[in-house]
Amino acid sequence: DALLPAPQTISIISTNMKHFLTWSPVVVQGATVRYSVEFQGEYEREYANGSWIPASECAPTTATLCNLTDDISATVAYKLRVRAELGATRSPWATTEGFFNRAMTSLTPPLLRVMADGNHLLVELEDMGPSFQFRVLYWKKGQKSRVQQKVMKEVSSVLHLDTMEAGAEYCVKAQTHVQAINRSSSFSPTQCVRARGDASFWLT
Amino acid sequence: KIFHLGACRVSLSMTEIRAGFAAIKADIQSRDPIRTLSILSHPHSLHKVKSSDRCCIAHQLFTFYVDKVFRHCRTEDSFVNRKISSIANSFLSVTRELGHCREQNNCVCGEESTEKFKQILANYEGLNVTSAAMKSLGELDILLDWVEKSH
Amino acid sequence: GELYCSLPNPRNVHFESINMKNVLHWSPPEGTADGVLYKVKYTVYGVGKWIRKPECRNINRTWCDLSSETSDYEEQYYASVKAFLNGKCSDWMETTRFNPLTDTKIDPPLVSVSSTDRSISIILTAPEKWKKSPEEESISLLQVYPGLQYNVCVLNKKTKKRWFFSISNNTLVVPWLEPRTVYCVSAQIHVTTPVLDSGFSKEHCITTLKDK
Repeated sequence: DALLPAPQTISIISTNMKHFLTWSPVVVQGATVRYSVEFQGEYEREYANGSWIPASECAPTTATLCNLTDDISATVAYKLRVRAELGATRSPWATTEGFFNRAMTSLTPPLLRVMADGNHLLVELEDMGPSFQFRVLYWKKGQKSRVQQKVMKEVSSVLHLDTMEAGAEYCVKAQTHVQAINRSSSFSPTQCVRARGDASFWLT
Repeated sequence: KIFHLGACRVSLSMTEIRAGFAAIKADIQSRDPIRTLSILSHPHSLHKVKSSDRCCIAHQLFTFYVDKVFRHCRTEDSFVNRKISSIANSFLSVTRELGHCREQNNCVCGEESTEKFKQILANYEGLNVTSAAMKSLGELDILLDWVEKSH
Repeated sequence: GELYCSLPNPRNVHFESINMKNVLHWSPPEGTADGVLYKVKYTVYGVGKWIRKPECRNINRTWCDLSSETSDYEEQYYASVKAFLNGKCSDWMETTRFNPLTDTKIDPPLVSVSSTDRSISIILTAPEKWKKSPEEESISLLQVYPGLQYNVCVLNKKTKKRWFFSISNNTLVVPWLEPRTVYCVSAQIHVTTPVLDSGFSKEHCITTLKDK
């Protein structure tokens, strides 16, 4: 086994609760090297004799990247490791320095589209997966002290936020919230739209 | 999601845990041929536990699963093993939270629920360890249903 | 005693449950034409005995309503079916473990819509849990699933624009609408845990009144 070097520069990239392990390739001229990835949660370290579990999508793989999103599905400290394989030859394991907890994932502001339909304030939000809720803040322009909030989860369509006063301009911004790790992203840029202006609505 | 169990508040990714269990429920329950015995629900139902005892018995039950059950549930199926690992790690962080709460709060087991938990351990020890562990894992939805109802 | 049991077994023995009306279904044994009779038994998981269902003894249909026997949704159940034909019988064939709380399906909510010239009012009613008789007290599925929510879709038939609302209470008023316009409403029940979603109800269309 010592003939096959362990993968180097292994690191975890985690954004919006999607977790990937990456490493630099082990090059053997004229041969296709495969890699196997394993993970170990806190439970395995403390209650299961430090056992390791093969990752769902990368045991083995020829890629130098492994999607561990389905495997890292608890908010505890995980260790990850990868080794190279060539036929029956195995390299030593390369194990991540320290631990990875999904609470460390970086959260980006959601893509948000704000629309006015007559006197109705509508938003469209990007579907970011089941872990995500969206906290949407909206206010009548110039009245930042009277911000209103809605927490939304269903995002597969145009969502009705509220009704607007005729002719008034309303501003909206949103952030994601992940209950499983109790963290939120920063806010999206603010977008403003204007309600239809004819005052006739007010007379009836 | 935050669950209130008696004097304790605990954050529990119930949707993730239920999804993990739903994915392996048929497999795990098919490994348990015994219809006439339940670890958690008979002869005493969890639903009869007084609300003041809930945080204590919840802590005992989650600890029971972490200490006794998951480690004896390894299967030949790596998909099932991964789901069990996910549930076990989630239970571990819940057990910790409940443990901290028990230390700080009035989270004492009354006589009734002490008896109830003794019965659960007796049911468990009445079977060989692998059968008992598989049966307990197959009853995870009984525990989750109770946690949600008690919340 | 039992007859000689070499008849092929009933197949695909399973519960079909809607609003906790729990009906056992199965398919006839392979290769058997008419004349097969069945009997049914069930057990509460963890309790030591199997109980025969008299109304489903020597039946030729391939379903048996066990709603009454499985109405306690804090329990879980198994059911089993045996087939008989020409003096032969099959083995008992069991369901998987049935948990009424997580394994039932939910009907869409009832939707009633009224309108003024510039608004529509929507009232949603969650379905009731199955009950033995009309006299029995009704239990709304809202009581069974406290986290129950409604997703409501409002379609402006003129502009073809569709808006979605997610609400926890069962009433919704949509003001500031166009007069003399057709709006169609449909709604779905959404339970976060256990994950249970009904389909969307059929559309209820209404025309807003003429401008006053």
